[in-house]
Amino acid sequence: MRNLPTKKALHKNSPNRDSFDLYFHEKRAAAGSRHQGVVLCSWGNVGSRDRRVLHLIRAKEIMTHTKSLPRWMSRSAVGVLAMTTLVLGWIANAQDTKTPPPAGDHVPSGKAAVGEANFKTHIQPLLKKSCLRCHNADNMESGIRLDQISGKLEDKHLFLLRDILKQVANAKMPPEDELQPSAEQRRVLTEWIRQTLVAASARNQQRNGSVRRLTVSQYRNTLRDLLGLDEDLTEVLPPDAVSKEGFVNNSRTMLLSPLLLEAYLDIAETALNLCIVEESAKPVIQNFRMDLGRSINPKPCPDNLILGANSLLLKNQDVLVTQLQPTKSFEFQPFSMRTKYEFIEGYQGNATVRGWRKYDDIYHSVFACMRGTGGYPRGQAYETVPEGLLLRPSIPSSELFGQSSTYGPKANFKVSLRELPDHGNFKVKVKAARYNDGLLLPKGAQTQASDDVVSVITADLSATAPVDVTIDAEGIYEVGLGFEPNAKPNMLSLDLGERHFSGQLIPLKSPVDKKGAAFVLVRLKPGPLKVTARNNSQLRRIIFSRLHDDSELAKRFKTFEQRTPQLSVFLGLRRDCGSTLARVGEARPVSAGQLNEFVFEGAINNFPSPDVEKDNVNYLAGIREIGVRSDYTDGRDMPRLLIRSIEFEGPYHETWPPVTHRNIFIDSPNRDDPAAYARDVIRTFAARAFRRPISDAEAAAFVAVWQDSFAETRDQRRSIKDALLVVLTSPQFLFLIENSSTPKPEALDAHELASKLSYFLWNSAPDKQLLERAAAGKLHQSLDAEFERMTLDPRFNQFVGEFTSQWLSLDKFDVVEIDSKRYPKLTRDTKTQLRQEPVEFLRHLIKLNLPLSNLIRSDFIVANEVVASYYDLGDRTESGFEFVPIKHGNKNLGGILSQAGILAGLSDGRESNPVKRGAWLARKIIAAPPDDPPPNVPQLMDDGSEKLTLRQRLERHRNQKGCANCHAGIDPWGVPFETFDAGGLFKKNPAVDARSTLPDKTEVADLNELKTYLADDRIDRVAFSFLKHLAGYAVGRSLTYNEVVFLEEQGRQLKAGGYRMQDMIRFVIKSDVFLKK
Amino acid sequence: MASFTRLDRRSVLKGIAGTTLSLPLLEAMGQDISQKNPKRFCALYTANGMSLPNPKHGIQDWSWFPKNTGKDFVYSKSTAPLSPFRKQLSFMGGLYHANGPKADPHVCSDMWLTGAPLHDSKPGTYNSVALDQVVALHTKQYCRQPSLVLSIDAGVGFLSRTGTISYNLEGKPIPAENNPRRVFDRLFRGDQASLESQRSRLKRRIKLVDAVLENARSLNKRLGKSDREKMDQYLTSLNELESRLTASEKWIDIPIKKQNYSHLDLDVTSEGEPREYYRNMFDLIALAFDADITRSVAFMLNREDGMGISDTFPLKLGLGRTHHNLSHAGDSQGQLAFAKYDLFLSEQLAYFFGRLNESKDASGTVLDNSIVLFGSGASTTHNPTNLPTLIAGGANMGLRHGSYWQKSKTPMSNVYLSILRSMGIERNSFSDSTGVIRDSIFSAV
Repeated sequence: MRNLPTKKALHKNSPNRDSFDLYFHEKRAAAGSRHQGVVLCSWGNVGSRDRRVLHLIRAKEIMTHTKSLPRWMSRSAVGVLAMTTLVLGWIANAQDTKTPPPAGDHVPSGKAAVGEANFKTHIQPLLKKSCLRCHNADNMESGIRLDQISGKLEDKHLFLLRDILKQVANAKMPPEDELQPSAEQRRVLTEWIRQTLVAASARNQQRNGSVRRLTVSQYRNTLRDLLGLDEDLTEVLPPDAVSKEGFVNNSRTMLLSPLLLEAYLDIAETALNLCIVEESAKPVIQNFRMDLGRSINPKPCPDNLILGANSLLLKNQDVLVTQLQPTKSFEFQPFSMRTKYEFIEGYQGNATVRGWRKYDDIYHSVFACMRGTGGYPRGQAYETVPEGLLLRPSIPSSELFGQSSTYGPKANFKVSLRELPDHGNFKVKVKAARYNDGLLLPKGAQTQASDDVVSVITADLSATAPVDVTIDAEGIYEVGLGFEPNAKPNMLSLDLGERHFSGQLIPLKSPVDKKGAAFVLVRLKPGPLKVTARNNSQLRRIIFSRLHDDSELAKRFKTFEQRTPQLSVFLGLRRDCGSTLARVGEARPVSAGQLNEFVFEGAINNFPSPDVEKDNVNYLAGIREIGVRSDYTDGRDMPRLLIRSIEFEGPYHETWPPVTHRNIFIDSPNRDDPAAYARDVIRTFAARAFRRPISDAEAAAFVAVWQDSFAETRDQRRSIKDALLVVLTSPQFLFLIENSSTPKPEALDAHELASKLSYFLWNSAPDKQLLERAAAGKLHQSLDAEFERMTLDPRFNQFVGEFTSQWLSLDKFDVVEIDSKRYPKLTRDTKTQLRQEPVEFLRHLIKLNLPLSNLIRSDFIVANEVVASYYDLGDRTESGFEFVPIKHGNKNLGGILSQAGILAGLSDGRESNPVKRGAWLARKIIAAPPDDPPPNVPQLMDDGSEKLTLRQRLERHRNQKGCANCHAGIDPWGVPFETFDAGGLFKKNPAVDARSTLPDKTEVADLNELKTYLADDRIDRVAFSFLKHLAGYAVGRSLTYNEVVFLEEQGRQLKAGGYRMQDMIRFVIKSDVFLKK
Repeated sequence: MASFTRLDRRSVLKGIAGTTLSLPLLEAMGQDISQKNPKRFCALYTANGMSLPNPKHGIQDWSWFPKNTGKDFVYSKSTAPLSPFRKQLSFMGGLYHANGPKADPHVCSDMWLTGAPLHDSKPGTYNSVALDQVVALHTKQYCRQPSLVLSIDAGVGFLSRTGTISYNLEGKPIPAENNPRRVFDRLFRGDQASLESQRSRLKRRIKLVDAVLENARSLNKRLGKSDREKMDQYLTSLNELESRLTASEKWIDIPIKKQNYSHLDLDVTSEGEPREYYRNMFDLIALAFDADITRSVAFMLNREDGMGISDTFPLKLGLGRTHHNLSHAGDSQGQLAFAKYDLFLSEQLAYFFGRLNESKDASGTVLDNSIVLFGSGASTTHNPTNLPTLIAGGANMGLRHGSYWQKSKTPMSNVYLSILRSMGIERNSFSDSTGVIRDSIFSAV
């Protein structure tokens, strides 16, 4: 272990230090870190991870390093050290916002008490005597220095002063073993601070405009909207640092470095290269279709095709690949997939290819592959029928929990192929239908008792020929089968007319007349029906029992036949282990019985590519996959999805030159004059990029780049590219600039307002309408209308997603390693949906402008099938992946506090953690953030001698000297959550003790009572917290002292309206916090 | 090579983002190694594990791991050629990758140098960064090439049957080179055309950065009373970027150290005699280290699961079966033949160590200033525990050698973290590491 960092070093550990280590530690290897003991103190914000790490340094190591500690500390042992740093930690939090002292509580005794002169004569000597020895420039205990405090009302000192007030008034500082000030001295100091704070909130604060960088996601969205380029080139950018409030758009925490600028240059260069084409060149377009269906291919490939171990390829005759030429309004070059290959490596069967082998067949280049985990609970995972390929929902395989079976889900269809375009957009068109399916009954089911049956038709089966049966009435039939005596379990393949069913069938032990093994429920029409039962040597008869409409089975069937399978397309690459398939767009419900075409679009470089050289000598190398699935939600019975064909086209161009090119090379009368046209292009582009009109000086600077380049190369495209490259790396593009000419607050200019609004509400650049309103000088007046319009725009989702995730720290759920044995339902796919739940919930509240109290307590959840099923409410919805409000009827659900994604994210994946949950609630919901975990507090170690519950360990931690203070502001908020386990569900064990005494002495029995308390008694505080986070996010910085006071006091205006969500956002936008710079 | 330049920016970007690299770059890059010892790393991977014969065959002295742990270890017959280097190397036993057993058995080569959980990669992700690339991040500013990635087969193989052990910061495979002549030409004979195109690329870049800088300065003047902190950072960063580009441009003209190349036979290929091939590749590494062309090397000596040309090497050496086949042998004859292939590899290693000892740094030999890691992702094939591992050199980085270190279930990533720390690369973790190896080999962690 390296030396314990000095206090100074600690202080310097700003959030974006060592971001490389953190990036990889958190992002790549988070899976591996399991701490031995219980980490109770890790409530630190994401932004202060490094401090959290230090917090875990063990007691033993602290002991061995006491030599390096300050004089008075080294006298005492760990306990004192811990306590002291912890108490000082209160002050360390100075930049964070806590409750300002309520106005009017303390009447100032006259203006003379405030001000610099008074400070110098009365206060400074006091500080010097009692504080400065430990809190000076060289010796910043807990990162606090008080030598800079002056009589001036500097904002950066006000939060600090407020904390000093608390410390001094409560006699917590100076530490008990230090020289203590007299009671009178304490009074003088506290009185001075109180008056200073009151005076501060009354003054006009200096404003200096703002210059902040676009966040990574803002940059990505802006580039996409500006260029019309869907490829995401921003993967190389390091993630933005997280501010104390949890936001990544805080100008103070944003890094800028030479490397970041170089990355911007590289990204801009790549982007422009992708956007700008040679107009006269013919684009190359790859287009092919794979048709599926039993015996669809009259001339199948004669070879025994194998794509690695367990390749599960469809039969050669069931697959037909056709290379196509799309119809286009421009000339292009059709891409012909390569069929001639020579390989020396790779599997053939289970042996290695040795020696060069030549191939020349499209079916060695394009495969129809079903490789996935084997088995299916009921029926076959997939089957080809004459009309196409039938797919059951693809059950995620155990790979999600790291078992050895890693082939992907069950029913995992993929077009596996050697070649796809290198870049550009693509379209995958899938012809699919909902199969007119039957509901397979559980293995071993017996045909129905006569009560539920209206009529029965039986027919003897023949081993050789189809049997004709006449159905007399339309209805839901249970199809059963009677057996020869002593028949064995067998796979049954049953054709009823054109429809096909198959599955394992278990004969009844003692067959009786008219009774049989129930196999499937189907809806049949009256008339003749041809029945073929294959592998039926043991079968004697088939039994059709028409069910009463109101029988349980009939009802089940009616629900079943209404369901719509979800069609999904994926793109990735083949590998022998694990799956790389990533989703293309959203899943699409397929409700029609007739074939329809579903189009999925994406940019090829946003998906995993094999990164294999073109001349790779391995048969299996570089295989790409287009996955097509019937998507799995929660395992409910689902009619099968029929896939008829899959067509690929890419790079997909609507026009030529493509829109990305025409966005830049605009129409202009000057097209034939290189210099004049370059000026037009550059001016137009720069104005769009800068989100405002550009000045002549700016235009001249960029045109000069063109001139320079053009003079040298005579290459118009390249020279324009050079000029645009400079535009895209300029601060005017990369920064959001609010220019200020005086220290006084000034109104935003119209274009600054347009950008501020759009980056707040869309997380991207302003659109044409916003800019037009701004140019016309009408934006300030039409704020309400624009707000309304912006919330209805799809881009508003970008705000909801970003803000909710950051405010509620949903990233914690992304990285938590779930104990799969304890929480088997919390699979990776379920996690993905639960992660989305808080976002969808907030979206719903905002959309309907519902009162904020719903955030705490609501009689509905907003869920899709996966999420509802996780809460055991799966039977209340049939919405597929769409999030819809559902009345939960469960006293333990509703609001965000009981959402699994939040609760599980605030655990270690194994046990619930009241400390994390308490700190989160204090921080996020009531804006009373606890201090950062102080450095050097030992981790509680399990020495194994005692078996303690987490709660007992927590108590021990809380009672430990030095821990009590902080935890008094944390644990009471976290303990009521104890009724919820680390998977975020209500614990089954009723003995859990969740009683808690809140800091204001209110007693609550459990989370429900805490919710009531928050929603009824403390809703002003919750509203303030929401406003504070919202405003901080909106302006991209930490709020000033006065702004915090403003929100707290003026936010109450909204109470009369019930603190409605849109009203609160509007309140922020219309406040000076937002409108002034 | 394209992949290197790409790595170059990415790596530094992620590596030192947020801190300013303010060292006088040119000076640092061209520093005189006669005054300061470089810190180097070389990873050598052999596939399919080692021969650990079944005791019933009575050929235990052919088992790869030494007899006796600690200082009194006795070389097995298959590692005996390494005897002269006893004071410069250590064997390590009991190591494993926690994520190894969960995946397909031959994926071990993909994750040997990364430790990544390949069995549970999230859709859309690949591998994670390999040790040599983390080293390169921190050594690249001192040498011409961030790293050198070699393999018996060129390219990357394919995911799960990799042909390279080096993965970049995004976890994407870095294509390996396998042709001695190409490696030599690239490293030692920067050809004029490519140098010129590199130069003109840099010149253009510098021009554009100048234009950006000019525009930014004039914007800065117009900013009135606005908060300038971000603009200052921006201008400083841009200035720094410009000076780095200028430095890179100057690198092109700094001549390479004069060395004797007469022993090289650049006509050998992987399809010829294995011994000749390995020796020339090792010669190239030794020369590249000596001339400070790179300080990070990864070399995949052979491939898993019967892939590639190396599977045939035991056949060429008269051992009767292919490499993968031998690794599955249960019979006495097969296990002995497998051990003799291990012996062959030990001879090549011994040659390499000898070469590294022939060149001197400011103090000690090149080997004393290079940590060489040799091992496999399986003890024998399909067995991902007790990874055979040998670590050599690095005396000047605090490595204390001459023993067989053994501790069961020690995360391999802990060894990797220990290597990084020994090289002065301050990281808190690597992959799934849980700490460093403290008690013996690594004395400076």
